[in-house]
Amino acid sequence: MIVLEPLRLRVQLTKRGRMRYLSHAEYSRTLMLAARRAGLPLQYAGMNSQRMKVSLSPPLAIGVTSECEFVDYFLSDYVSPGEAAQVLGRSLPPGIEVVSCRLMGSGAKSVGKLIDTAEYTVTLPFQAGFEGDWGKAVQEFMRKDTVNFERVQPRRTRVVNLRPGVHRLEVVGTDPEGSVRIQMVLDDGTRGTVKPSEVVQVLAESVKAPAGYREGCRVNREGLYVRRGDRLVSPLELARRRPAV
Amino acid sequence: MKAELPGSVWEELEPLLLRVQRPSRYLGGEWNAPDIEPGGTTVVLAYPDIYEIGISNLGLAILQEVVNDIEGASCERVYSPWVDMEKEMRDAGVPLFSLETHRPVSDFDIFGISIPHELTFTNILNLIDMAHLPLMAVDRKEGPLVVGGGCGTANPEPIADFFDIFVLGEGEEAIGSLVEVVSRGRSLGWTREKTLSEASALPGVYRPSDYVVEYAESGAIEAISPAAGAASKVRKNLVDLDRWLYPEHPIIPFCEAVHDRLNVEVFRGCTRGCRFCQAGMIYRPVRERSATSVVRMVENLSGRTGHEEVSLCSLSSTDYTMVEEVSGRVSQICKDRHMALSLPSLRMDGLSVELVSGLAGSRGGGLTFAPEAGTERLRGVINKQISETDMAEAVIGTVRAGRRRIKLYFMIGLPTETEKDVEEISRLVFRLRDMVRRKGLPPPALNISVSTFVPKPHTPFQWVTQEGPESIELKQRILKETVRGRGINLSWHDCHMSLVESLLARGDRRLAAVVKHVWENGGRFDSWSEHFEFSRWEKAYHETSTDPDFYLYRERAENEVFPWDHLDFGLDREFLFNEYRLATGGGLSADCRGGECLECGVCRNLEAELTLKGSWR
Repeated sequence: MIVLEPLRLRVQLTKRGRMRYLSHAEYSRTLMLAARRAGLPLQYAGMNSQRMKVSLSPPLAIGVTSECEFVDYFLSDYVSPGEAAQVLGRSLPPGIEVVSCRLMGSGAKSVGKLIDTAEYTVTLPFQAGFEGDWGKAVQEFMRKDTVNFERVQPRRTRVVNLRPGVHRLEVVGTDPEGSVRIQMVLDDGTRGTVKPSEVVQVLAESVKAPAGYREGCRVNREGLYVRRGDRLVSPLELARRRPAV
Repeated sequence: MKAELPGSVWEELEPLLLRVQRPSRYLGGEWNAPDIEPGGTTVVLAYPDIYEIGISNLGLAILQEVVNDIEGASCERVYSPWVDMEKEMRDAGVPLFSLETHRPVSDFDIFGISIPHELTFTNILNLIDMAHLPLMAVDRKEGPLVVGGGCGTANPEPIADFFDIFVLGEGEEAIGSLVEVVSRGRSLGWTREKTLSEASALPGVYRPSDYVVEYAESGAIEAISPAAGAASKVRKNLVDLDRWLYPEHPIIPFCEAVHDRLNVEVFRGCTRGCRFCQAGMIYRPVRERSATSVVRMVENLSGRTGHEEVSLCSLSSTDYTMVEEVSGRVSQICKDRHMALSLPSLRMDGLSVELVSGLAGSRGGGLTFAPEAGTERLRGVINKQISETDMAEAVIGTVRAGRRRIKLYFMIGLPTETEKDVEEISRLVFRLRDMVRRKGLPPPALNISVSTFVPKPHTPFQWVTQEGPESIELKQRILKETVRGRGINLSWHDCHMSLVESLLARGDRRLAAVVKHVWENGGRFDSWSEHFEFSRWEKAYHETSTDPDFYLYRERAENEVFPWDHLDFGLDREFLFNEYRLATGGGLSADCRGGECLECGVCRNLEAELTLKGSWR
């Protein structure tokens, strides 16, 4: 008989449609209550034993949609990934859908400690300006070593250099309605975070986009990765490795 | 995602969402939120405060499901938009909309508004106005029936002009009858007026315009006369709790609500007989739910909600005669599902503390008790029968069970109270703390919360004069000077807020002008200290020529006609007055669950009876 060590269930989820209006706290609460409703064999922590152990991928700003969010549920017992995907999927509100589920050993790093890179597509409304102008702004951005940005946070405001956290930035075309689409790969997670809205703000200033472009700007997170040299590895691929015995 | 129904304002609403705090308040689509089919009789139920408070209201959750279980009817929700959202909606011309289908409230057949307390009156006006409906009932010739319910119907007179009808008492059966009348009216093509007059014939339904109030020269009410055909009094409704096992699918908010737990009601009513307590009077008689029903509800609902905590709720849950059996069985369910079990509204004695200390997941956390007054004498006046020995046992037991935080509720401004009684509050608090120390236990952190007594209708203290601001502030100063020490924290209420509450609590229809004036001048969320502005109310008194002292400080005669005299919650006036007389001498009254009937009149008048499922200790 094989003795199984404690397991984790790594789940890839979406955050689409109206679910993009949930704050990170609301979204994580939704994931936890859904897991309880689904009856997953969860591991609980703390003396009251009602708090489950989970690890979540880096937070999304309110309004941003995502094709790729992760959560690690710490399990107390074995459950097949297929069954877990099914019961969890039935317990989640529409818009948050299970893309994929994998089991991992307890030795593996949790998603919160693993993910360091995110890929986004930003779609700007056609009023924001021409594709060509944005393309030039992007080239200029990438040529620089330093792109200073004033980051305003509730407690402090400081100037940060965005450039080292921007790994890829390109205009990938226009939509049928004439919207400009920009793709970007940014630091997000354990190595610091650059927000797509910050990059867009710098670009918008350089193309002198009319005020109000932000209203129609849509941001979608396409992927979350772990950087291994030049390679972007999905946290699900890392799960494929056999847990150390 | 389901497509929006015709008439939805979602497209106009969506651009506003990113400009406001917590957009999830306006989304709908929460777990267990009902799927609404188009057509049929449509009801929208409102709570006049923000989402986080409104979603925690058990009454509305029950009524929504009751309506949605009726064939051919549907029920949605709406809460007061927060100030930021109100501004955005008004600027964009978006009307108040339902959460489930985002349709304008004005398109519904019934617009039900819960009236939780007096300081929500301005929010109620705001809801009606944001729904783009005329404020005054007489001006509404079309659109939904605006119906009030909840405990505020004990005296809805200051807002009576804004409502078409009120439903008194428990609404489970009444809302079904109302929906039936409205459905019949729809199919027979009745006028709005015809539907209203049919509805006002239903039991427990009060149509303010059917009653004419006449005033004497002194300003007091001379008479309240029913129109031809209207009953002399409207009597509240009661239901059999074991026949209404709702809610079955509690809605789980995305955000954390104020009561973030599964609430299962174990009984209604309370006959402890505290003389200041309106709930203890207007929800009589005590009717308990059977142990089997309670346990079954917990079993079914815990899996459907995923909640981390179950609360067996009532006005005083340790008084439930089946509490030991039920909490034992529910504790087992909780352990299996990793939930905590709580019994709110704890009686302050050793037995109650022992009971809650054995509950699932009960370690840590604090407990809250309500001694209400600092001296035995004053507790006698209000008929709060807890001795200091009980209190000591409760506090010691709490600390012994490993809980370090204790909250104690007191009131100031009670009838016959002197400064001495107030000074005794701090002495009592210190004595309790020292008793814990003497047992060799660590002293608990004590949070002392002091509110101002407000006389309420349908209670023995409805005749009492409100304590004035100077005296309240003096007593608060005494507390601030005396209730201080390591681990002791004092909190109190703005006395002006209590004065507004008091004015409205025993107000009459003439106060509609004041409420309207305050609302027109920006009054919103008056129960939120950051939004309450006393100057707005003072200005309104002045500009509507209202004398607040008339309502607050006037001695009321034994036989005075009260604005709520035509609203019958079952209590005999003689009983209330007798209790008032007893109070001044500190005379105690027993709990009728012990077997001795005090002739409060409720069982006789409402043809109801006390229903206990076990034996009263």
